[in-house]
Amino acid sequence: MSLVAEAFVSQIAAAEPWPENATLYQQLKGEQILLSDNAASLAVQAFLQMCNLPIKVVCRANAEYMSPSGKVPFIHVGNQVVSELGPIVQFVKAKGHSLSDGLDEVQKAEMKAYMELVNNMLLTAELYLQWCDEATVGEITHARYGSPYPWPLNHILAYQKQWEVRRKMKAIGWGKKTLDQVLEDVDQCCQALSQRLGTQPYFFNKQPTELDALVFGHLYTILTTQLTSDELSEKVKNYSNLLAFCRRIEQHYFEDRVLKKHSRWYFQEWLHRTET
Amino acid sequence: MAAPLELSCWGGGWGLPSVHSESLVVMAYAKFSGAPLKVNVIDNTWRGSRGDVPILTTKDNIVSQPAKILNFLRKQKYNADYELSARQGADTLAYIALLEEKLLPAVLHTFWVENDNYFTVTKPWFASRIPFPLSLILPGRMSKGALNRILLTRGEPPLYHLREVEAQIYRDAKECLNLLSHRLGTSQFFFGDMPSTLDAYVFGFLAPLYKVRFPKVQLQEHLKQLSNLCRFCDDILNSYFRHSLGDG
Repeated sequence: MSLVAEAFVSQIAAAEPWPENATLYQQLKGEQILLSDNAASLAVQAFLQMCNLPIKVVCRANAEYMSPSGKVPFIHVGNQVVSELGPIVQFVKAKGHSLSDGLDEVQKAEMKAYMELVNNMLLTAELYLQWCDEATVGEITHARYGSPYPWPLNHILAYQKQWEVRRKMKAIGWGKKTLDQVLEDVDQCCQALSQRLGTQPYFFNKQPTELDALVFGHLYTILTTQLTSDELSEKVKNYSNLLAFCRRIEQHYFEDRVLKKHSRWYFQEWLHRTET
Repeated sequence: MAAPLELSCWGGGWGLPSVHSESLVVMAYAKFSGAPLKVNVIDNTWRGSRGDVPILTTKDNIVSQPAKILNFLRKQKYNADYELSARQGADTLAYIALLEEKLLPAVLHTFWVENDNYFTVTKPWFASRIPFPLSLILPGRMSKGALNRILLTRGEPPLYHLREVEAQIYRDAKECLNLLSHRLGTSQFFFGDMPSTLDAYVFGFLAPLYKVRFPKVQLQEHLKQLSNLCRFCDDILNSYFRHSLGDG
C-alpha cells in the first residue's frame, strides 16, 4: 500500500470504533490449514483477545485468495480488510488500542527485534518443514493443501505453492540446509526466546504485548500439531519456561474456547491412516 | 589455532576495508575477537573463487557465509561474545534477525537494484575486480540475485512488482535505523565497552551505506542524520582498521 493510501486507511480506521461483527478469515481448520498458517492465525487471535476486542473466526477454503496480500489470516472490520499481524497491529492502534504503549523506545526496539527473530527463524523453519522436507510434503502437506479442490487442481495448486516456497528458501540461503540444520536453528531460536523470557510471566514483565501473541501462536501450534515426527515439538519442549508461558496464555485468554480441538486434525488423519 | 586462517573477500574503497557487507562483518568480527586473519582481496586475476564470498580457508576446512564463519572462529576460541550474558546473547540473535529482515532489502536495493547507483557505482567497481569475460556476467547475476531476494521476501504473490515493494522496504529500513539508534544511545558499543558479534553485524551493514558515494542517496541521508550510528562506524574504522585504510 502506498504511503498516501495507508494514511487514508488509518484516518478511516480511527473514525469508527471496533464493531461487534469483526471477522477473521483463515483456511478450513480440520482438513486444509497448514502449520505455518495456523500459527499466524492463532497469533492474531491471541493479540485481539489480549486487546479485549471481539472477533469471530470464519473458515473458508479460498481464504488465501481473498486476502489482500495473499497471506492469511486477514480480518474484516467495518468495510476494511487487513491481513497479517504487523498491519493488523497498526490498524488496531489506529483505533486506539495498543499493547505496547507503555514500553520505552529501547523496549520497543527489542520487541520488534524479537518479532523479527520469530519470523526469520521459526516461521521459515515451519515453511521449510512443510514444503521442503520430502516426508512431510508427501504425507501431509500436499494432501491438506489441495483437499478442497477437485483433481487435477489439487495437485497443480500444491505443486505451484511448493515451487514458490522453494524459490524463496533458495533466495534467502536456506535452500541448501538439511533438516538437522533447520532443527538446530529452531533450537537456537527457542533458546534465545527462553533466555529473554527468563522467569517473567510475559516478555515485558506483567503485561502481554504483540510479541507474546506471536510467540504463543507459533509455539502452541508447534506443540499441538502432529507431524511425521516429533523432532520439532521436542525442540520446544526442552524449555520449560516456554511451555509454562504457552499454558499461561491459553488459560488466561482462551479458557472459554476449546483450543485443544486444533490439535486433533493431524492426529485424526494419522489415526485414520493407521486404521485403514 | 596454529593453522593460518585466510579470508577471501571483496576489497575496500571510500575509506572502508571492504565495500561488501558480509565480508565486512567477518573482518570486523576477526578484529574484535583477535583472530589472526590473512585477508586475500579478490582482484581481476583468475586466482581464487568468486562465488559465495566471503570464504574462510584453513588447512583442512573451507567455510562460507558469515554466520558459519563466525561460528567456526568461535570454535577456534576466537570469541568476541565471551563477556556477554545469556540474555545479551539472545538479544544479539534478535537484532541480527531485525537487520536481515528490515534493513538488508533496502541496502541490497540501494547497491544493486536502483539503476543510477548500480550502473554508475556498483557495477563498474565490481567489474574492475573480476577478470574478463566474467566481469560481463557476474555483476549482472549478483544484481538479479539481489532483486530476486527482495521480491521473493517482500513482494506479494502472484504479482511480483518492484514499485509496490520499494516504498515499503525503504520505510522499514528507516524504521530499523531509528530502532538501532535508540538501542545504541550514547554507549560506545551495543553491549557496553567491548565490541561483540552484534557490533560486527551492525558495522558490516551500516558502514558501506554510510561511506560509499551514490547518486541516489535517500537511505544514506537518513543514516547521516542519526549521529550516534555514524559515530559508531567512524569509531570502529579509526580504532580497528586504521592500517588498512590505505587500500583502495
